[in-house]
Amino acid sequence: MTAGPVVGGLRAVGREARRLRITPRFRGRELTLLLFVAFALVAGDISLGATRLVQAAQEAGEQPPADLVVLAAPTILTIYIAGLFLVHAALVLAGRRTDQILLPTMGLLGGIGLLLMIRLPQDLAGRLGGLAQTQLLWLVIGLIIVTGLAVAVRNDVWLRRYKYTWAAVGVGLLLLTFVFGRDINGARLTVTIGPFSGQPSELLKVILVVFLAGYLSENRPLLQEESTRVGPFRLPPLPYLAPMVAMWAIALGVVIVQSDLGAALLFFAVFLLLLYVSTARVSFVVLGLAAFVAGAGLLYFVVDRVRTRIDIWVDPFADPSGAGYQVVQALHAFARGGLIGTGLGGGLPSIAGRPPIPALHTDFPLAALGEELGLVGILAVLGLYLVLVERGLRIASAAQDEFRAILAAGLSLVIGVQAFIIAAGNLKLIPLTGITLPFVSYGGSSLLANSVIVGLLIALSERTREPLPPPRVTSRFRRLVDRGAA
Amino acid sequence: MDAAVIAIWVLRLLFLALLYAFLWVVVRALVRDLRAAAREPTAELGRLVVTASPSGEPAAGASFALDAITSLGRDVNNSIVLDDEFASATHAALTYRGRAWYVEDLGSTNGTFVNGSQVDGLSPLAFGDEIQIGHVRLRLERARG
Repeated sequence: MTAGPVVGGLRAVGREARRLRITPRFRGRELTLLLFVAFALVAGDISLGATRLVQAAQEAGEQPPADLVVLAAPTILTIYIAGLFLVHAALVLAGRRTDQILLPTMGLLGGIGLLLMIRLPQDLAGRLGGLAQTQLLWLVIGLIIVTGLAVAVRNDVWLRRYKYTWAAVGVGLLLLTFVFGRDINGARLTVTIGPFSGQPSELLKVILVVFLAGYLSENRPLLQEESTRVGPFRLPPLPYLAPMVAMWAIALGVVIVQSDLGAALLFFAVFLLLLYVSTARVSFVVLGLAAFVAGAGLLYFVVDRVRTRIDIWVDPFADPSGAGYQVVQALHAFARGGLIGTGLGGGLPSIAGRPPIPALHTDFPLAALGEELGLVGILAVLGLYLVLVERGLRIASAAQDEFRAILAAGLSLVIGVQAFIIAAGNLKLIPLTGITLPFVSYGGSSLLANSVIVGLLIALSERTREPLPPPRVTSRFRRLVDRGAA
Repeated sequence: MDAAVIAIWVLRLLFLALLYAFLWVVVRALVRDLRAAAREPTAELGRLVVTASPSGEPAAGASFALDAITSLGRDVNNSIVLDDEFASATHAALTYRGRAWYVEDLGSTNGTFVNGSQVDGLSPLAFGDEIQIGHVRLRLERARG
C-alpha cells in the first residue's frame, strides 16, 4: 500500500490548486521560442563537436571521420534544455498571464554562455570537476529561482513596505565584504563563509533597485515639482538631494575600499537612470554626470587602480605584455574573429594550454564570442540584451502603480547597463571594469542575482486587473513635520 | 578534407542563422505587442496627484483616477474630498470635454488657483498643471499607458 499516500498527496495538491483557483494556461509563444533556443543550442554544440573532431584528426595526421554530427557535451546540453522546458511546464501549470519572452531570451543567453564554458579549457575554474559542469549547476539553480519567483510572487508589499530594511540589508552586505572580503586580483569582492563564496555586490544591485523604487515612488511628486532657486538657476530640491549625495558617496566608497570599479559604475548609472525615469528632470542627470566627472577625476589622482585602468584605456599598446595585456589580447581576438568568426572551437590559440586572456570566462566572454562567432554573433548577443531591456520597460509602462513601474524599469536597466559596461569595456569603448556579462559569464553570484531579476520581472508582468493598493497613510511624524513647515 | 570543411562551414552558419531566427521571432512578437498596446484605448482620462496636503486628507502623494466629471470640495459627497479649512463644501469641478481638461470654480469662498493664478469661470488645464485649493495642491497627470 505505497500508492495510498502518493494519491492522497496528489489529491491534496489538486485541492490546494482549486482553492487558489489555479488553472493551467497554454503559453504558445514561449514554447515556440524555447524550441528555437533548443535548435540553436544543439546546432552550436554540433558545430563545436565537428570542429573538435576535425582538429583532432588534423593533429593526428589522419583523414577526418565521415560522420561529423557529434554533440560536444550531450549530457550537459540535454540537462540544460530539459531544465528550460521544465520551467516552461511549471509556468504553464501555474496558469498566470505573465511574460512569455523573458524566459527564452534568458535561456538562449545562458545557453550561449554554457556552450562557451564547454568550449573553454575545463580546468580554468570550477569545483565540480569542470567549468561547464559548475556553470550548468548554477544555471539550473538560477532556473529554479526564476520558477519560484515567477510562480509564487503575487504581491509586492514585502518589497514595498520594507524598503529601508532592504537598504539596511544592502549596507550590511557591503560591510560584510569590507570586513570579511578576500582580495582576488587586487579587488575585494568575494566573501567566503565555510564552503560557500560569493560576490555580494551582485545581490546588492537588486536590493538597490528595490530600495530606489520604494524611495522614488514615494517622493516622486516632490522631486518632480520642488526647486531650490539659486539666482537665475532652478536646481533640484536640496533636501531631497541628500540620498543622491549618499549614493554618490557609497559608489566612491565601493571604489576606494573594494576597488570594485564595475559595480560602482553600475550602481551610479542605474541610480541616475531611475532618477530620470521617475522625475523626467534633465537637471538631475546633468548634476549627476557632473558629480560623476568630479568623482572620477578625484579618483584618478587618488586611487592607483583607477589611474591604471584609464591609462590602459587611453593607450593599451604602451605596455602590451604587462598592464595592457588583456585589453590588447581582446582586441586581437575581435580582429581574428572578423565578420562571422572562426566558428565555435576554431579560435583561441592557447599559450601553453591556457587561453591568452586569463579572465576569459568571467570578464572577457564577449571577446571569446567575438573571435568565434564574429561581429554577426556578438551583435545577436547584444540584441538579446536589448530584448530583455525592451521587455522590462514594456512591463514598466503597463504597470499598475509607480512602485512596480520603477521596479520593473530598474531591474531591466540593471541587466542592460551591466551588459553595456562590460561589452564596451571589452571593446575598449570605455575603460575596462571587472564585471560579469549577465547570463553568459561564468560565476554563481552573477547568475543567481540575474535570475532573481528575471523571476521578479516575470512576476511583475502579470496582466490581471488587481485593485490598486490603498493610498499611503501619512505617518503621524510626517504630518507633524509637514504642519511645522506650513 | 573538403567535405569536412564544408560541413563545418554549414554548421557555423546554421548556428548564427538560428540565433537570428530567434531574434526575428522575438522582434515580431514585440512589435505585435506594441501595436496591440497602441490600439488599446486607455481606460483612464487622467490622474490627479496630491503634491501638498497639510491636513493629511487626501494624503500627500495619493493619486486619483479621474472620471469625465470630478468634483472637489470639503463635502463628503464630492469625488475627491479635501479636508482643508479654506476649502468650500463644493469648491471646484474638473471636466473632460472633447480632448482637453477644464477646471471650473463653483463659487468658492477662497478661490481656485491654477499654477498660482486665480481661475474665474471655466479654464483649460494642461497635463502637469497644478491646482491649488486652500492649502491642498494637486497636479493633473497623464494616465499611464
